[in-house]
Amino acid sequence: MSPLDRRQFVGRSLALLGAGGLGALAGAEAERDGSASAQSLSPAALARRAEQSSLAAAIPFDAVHQAGILTPAPAQATFAALDAIAPDRQTLAEALQQLSTRARQLTQGGAYPRLEVDDPPADSGVLGPINAPDALTVTIAFGGSLFDDRYGLASHRPRRLTQMPNFPNDDLDPTRSHGDVLVQICAGQRDTVVHTLRELVRSVRGSLQQRWAIDGFSSARRGPSPHNSPRNLFAFRDGTANPDVSDSALMNRLIWVQAGAGEPAWATGGSYQVVRAIRMHAEFWDRVGLAEQEEMIGRRRDTGAPLGGTEEFQDPRYDLDPQGKRIPLTAHIRLANPRTAPTADQRILRRGFNYHRGFDTAGQLDQGLVFVAFNQDIERQFATIQRRLSEEPMVDYITPVGGGYFFAPPGSRGPTDWVGAGLFV
Amino acid sequence: MTCISAFLALTALGVGGGDSSSAAGRTPRTTPHPIGAIQAYSEADAKRNGAAGEGGAPPVTELVPVSPAAFVEPIARYKLYSAGQLQIMLGYIAHLRSALQDRQPAAARAAWRGAYEHWLHLGAVYGAFGALNDGIDGAPGGLPSGVRDPRFTGLHRLEQGLWQGARETALLGVAIRLGDDVRLLLRRLPSVQITPLEYVTRAHEILEDAQRDLLSGADVPWSGEGVLATAAGLEATREVLATLRSLLDGREGTIETVEFSLARLADALAAIRREHDGHWPTASQLSQRQSELLNGTLGAALEALDAVPGTLETRVPPSIPSLPSPSR
Repeated sequence: MSPLDRRQFVGRSLALLGAGGLGALAGAEAERDGSASAQSLSPAALARRAEQSSLAAAIPFDAVHQAGILTPAPAQATFAALDAIAPDRQTLAEALQQLSTRARQLTQGGAYPRLEVDDPPADSGVLGPINAPDALTVTIAFGGSLFDDRYGLASHRPRRLTQMPNFPNDDLDPTRSHGDVLVQICAGQRDTVVHTLRELVRSVRGSLQQRWAIDGFSSARRGPSPHNSPRNLFAFRDGTANPDVSDSALMNRLIWVQAGAGEPAWATGGSYQVVRAIRMHAEFWDRVGLAEQEEMIGRRRDTGAPLGGTEEFQDPRYDLDPQGKRIPLTAHIRLANPRTAPTADQRILRRGFNYHRGFDTAGQLDQGLVFVAFNQDIERQFATIQRRLSEEPMVDYITPVGGGYFFAPPGSRGPTDWVGAGLFV
Repeated sequence: MTCISAFLALTALGVGGGDSSSAAGRTPRTTPHPIGAIQAYSEADAKRNGAAGEGGAPPVTELVPVSPAAFVEPIARYKLYSAGQLQIMLGYIAHLRSALQDRQPAAARAAWRGAYEHWLHLGAVYGAFGALNDGIDGAPGGLPSGVRDPRFTGLHRLEQGLWQGARETALLGVAIRLGDDVRLLLRRLPSVQITPLEYVTRAHEILEDAQRDLLSGADVPWSGEGVLATAAGLEATREVLATLRSLLDGREGTIETVEFSLARLADALAAIRREHDGHWPTASQLSQRQSELLNGTLGAALEALDAVPGTLETRVPPSIPSLPSPSR
């Protein structure tokens, strides 16, 4: 690293370390509005109050496990894959430390200092003089390629981390796949996410370079109850059968890498992250009869209930339907999660987002799903499910075009720790 | 009676009759989107009709299903046609072999175009032959090693080589194997089973594939021949529809809407070909206006074609058994 680069890192970090206390500031503003009773406020003031209270919400960056995994998915997300171009191991370590440091500041929010007026400001200022946290999470993960021979990390490679293979029916674009580092940015507002990406890539410039990115959004929870899962762009509810994230024993069985199990010690408490940009051919899908759509998925489109049922969270009782007369044997939900004892430890935690990125060259909507799954063992869980799904009728309507396998290390333990520090001890 | 019936009746009247070879000189008619009718269709209407639809959903078709036996003759006709196309394809493959032997890359690419075009004329049987199909038109995307995979062979392996300047002699073996695979398919064709549902679905989906995989460039990344491929898909679609014409007559007005929209697509393709001196341009050679015209008329054709499988249903959809009772 050149002396200039080093000065840039240190200088900006020091400037930003002074930041803080924004939660309090935004909170105070919400408080002021709160002094009036709800009835006396105009609709505009009510909307402003709701937005401010959500803007003030801060999710801790430092924790046993990284945020953004069990955290409920907010409205907005960006996934950015970066490649390491740092000239040496020490520079890479400093860049990764910087990534965590900046992510911590942004997730906690606050005012940033004014430098001398003839210096470029420490923050782009896109969110104003105070960065509201807006329930921002930044989740940092590493691709298998980071553990090649460039930085001497090969012996630390998480045991189950490989390059994502081409599954049958995949059409992966290499320029939109894989990468050394994946940064998952989630927040309530689009501008928060865009600002965060801009600040993070600035903080590691010259060491981690942008490879690909994809923006995602969640469908609103439109009910009828707040528990009903939101819909994907095929209009079906998605995420219904997710394991219960409040069950920590279950999370230890399915999501978190446990001590031992052949994994390097630094990986304990991390999770394997699968990201797949899955193009959904929306126009084609809209030309399919409702009954055929529902048979492909195995659920009612309106209620989300398993076919033959009335409620989204009803058990589909495959044991009573061995011939597939109610729910076809090739239905998506049946292949993905057969709900049998032997497949119980294959379950994954899905945390996907819709994407929309304009039109393709044939004038078609370029829309789909940023499929995101966390699991303890990709081969035992995600890959096994994916192979079962290779024969599902829905494959005609989707094309996986990008993504990769990554490993999200355990969380940073405090202000002087950082995600991935365990690799460099 | 109901808005749905009125809508169907209007559609039938609106697009009735006429020569289907060209849309020129006819008043373009816009087909009202069914969503308006669906919204206006109330639960009370559904009950009056005795329909099972819940939450105001429209009833299933009132038409009597078509007997599966009625498809025997159309499918037999289609197989005969397909055999003829495969024979023509073999002629182009022979040209391709000679051109490769003589190291004439331009002639080889022209022969490849002819072979590919006639393969796409089969449209309706794609995917029906499993491994044989993959040998003829398999794409590298799903293979573990992509384009370097030894199982990557056939038309697209040749396409990659011919457009990326591979040595002609290196491609000769692929061309010979392609000929063998096509001859094997030709021998097996008479015994291939095609169900009525598969057959009518193809009438819709040949052009869906053209839009998803060909015009987008996804399956022809090297040659970019998506326009030629779309025109070939249109030919195949018309061939399938010709065999189904007598079954479609008088049912829901589907064939009239379909033929009108296919004629518009054919007109768009013909105009594009004229504007490119009688050749098919690659997708990237299309002007923005040409591209919009082709994408738009293809999309409209697909919106019409999606009614074909439903119009020729061979069974009333079975009702779905109920789940015993919510477990929680």
